Amino acid sequence: MIDWGAFVVVALVSLVSAAALVSLYAAGLRLLAVEGPVRVARAGAYGCFVVCGLGVLFGIYLIVPAFHGG
Amino acid sequence: MTAVDLTVIVVLVIVLAVFFDFTNGFHDTANAMATPIATGALRPRVAVTVAALLNLVGAFLSTEVAKTISGGIIREGPGGVEITPTMIFAGLIGAVIWNMITWLRGLPSSSSHALFGGLIGAALVGAGTGSVDFGVVLSKVVLPAFLAPLVAGLVAFTATRLAYRITRRPVGKNQRGGFRVGQMFTSSLVALAHGTNDAQKTMGVITLALIAGGFLDTGASPPFWVILVCALAIALGTYTGGWRIIQTMGGGLTDIKATQGFSAEASTAATVLASSHLGFALSTTQVSSGSIIGAGLGRRGGVIQWGTASKIVIAWFITLPAAGLVGAACELIARAGTIGLVIDALLGAGVIVAIFVASRRKPAEQSNALEVDVAMNSVLTRQERRARAKKRGDEMLAERRRMSDESSLFEMGADDAVDVPAEGGSR
Repeated sequence: MIDWGAFVVVALVSLVSAAALVSLYAAGLRLLAVEGPVRVARAGAYGCFVVCGLGVLFGIYLIVPAFHGG
Repeated sequence: MTAVDLTVIVVLVIVLAVFFDFTNGFHDTANAMATPIATGALRPRVAVTVAALLNLVGAFLSTEVAKTISGGIIREGPGGVEITPTMIFAGLIGAVIWNMITWLRGLPSSSSHALFGGLIGAALVGAGTGSVDFGVVLSKVVLPAFLAPLVAGLVAFTATRLAYRITRRPVGKNQRGGFRVGQMFTSSLVALAHGTNDAQKTMGVITLALIAGGFLDTGASPPFWVILVCALAIALGTYTGGWRIIQTMGGGLTDIKATQGFSAEASTAATVLASSHLGFALSTTQVSSGSIIGAGLGRRGGVIQWGTASKIVIAWFITLPAAGLVGAACELIARAGTIGLVIDALLGAGVIVAIFVASRRKPAEQSNALEVDVAMNSVLTRQERRARAKKRGDEMLAERRRMSDESSLFEMGADDAVDVPAEGGSR
């Protein structure tokens, strides 16, 4: 009656993707707060933000049906 | 039923469906925009404008309209019952009235469940008990109402914990204020997803009513004007901003900080997208409320107002039967023919106006968007209340500006001294 398999998949995918996105963004912010020689940390931080941005773009890709044929 | 009657009812259904779309918009603004408003990431007016634009765009993006109104809950189509325009009309009245009541009480409830409820009520009266598939009701409405907040809460709790853990600094200033920038993106994603999903429902209802009235061929896609009107209605509704529900979601459930707001919206977006693409539909409203509670639990020292939370949960579970009762009553009256329809329409309009008038007696404006129970429960004269609300609103804004950057935890005032050791010491 209720598709528990699909439910578990949805729950796991949500958990992993949200945790990954938030961790990346948080890591970026943490790297911004690094003191001392900052060049590498800055680069790492912006890298994190870029990957987060890609995640958001993937979200938009999922939302717009025209991109993935329904 | 004569051709004139049919035209009248199809016109009534369209008007009511568009109004339902409007209530759907302002009911769900909070899902995306309550947390950025609460944390000061976006000004209230900017937030609702962004949400409205994204809803408008979203409505045009997705053109695939549901083939059935009820998603299998009512045995419609070949071999089942025929959903008449009268039933759609009665169901819509139930949905709209329930949406207005929950809005008046500031409770986030699912607009699609209200629509299903209204239709079920109308179908039970109009076509008998055999018309409703209660197994599908259980698997598509009742169980997901338990599961959605649980999943979203767990996801948001985990995300919030991670976010605090990763950004903590034993000494020195952290950069948690930066989460407010991230909030803009995650909230916008939720708003866009809402636009693509929810405007479709109304388009589907109008299209099916047009088909049932013989104005469109079976299986026709919605005409452009239907898409345009639905998109505008949901955007306008979103722009109007259900401030009452924003109050509840943004401040009534828990005191939200930027880190939590970002985690909550990221969780909402992830869960909604996963559920709509992996075949287990969850209500956006329920996911969003669950996320906010999860994020509230994820911060040490975070307090959840369980009283408010339980009111919301109760509202979810009576949404379907309550809208169903109204739908059933309207269908009963509507069976009297055209005169019944007119009575229905007048009654519905009367209730909506009454609720609107009631709402003006306790206005919920954006300036006090974070003032929750205090303002609602006060028994002062109107002038006093206004003066007070304005003063409080100003104070709240000032306070919010002072507090909104989470990095300033160490400089908080004396009344917050209790929190500081736990918060500051561990992070």
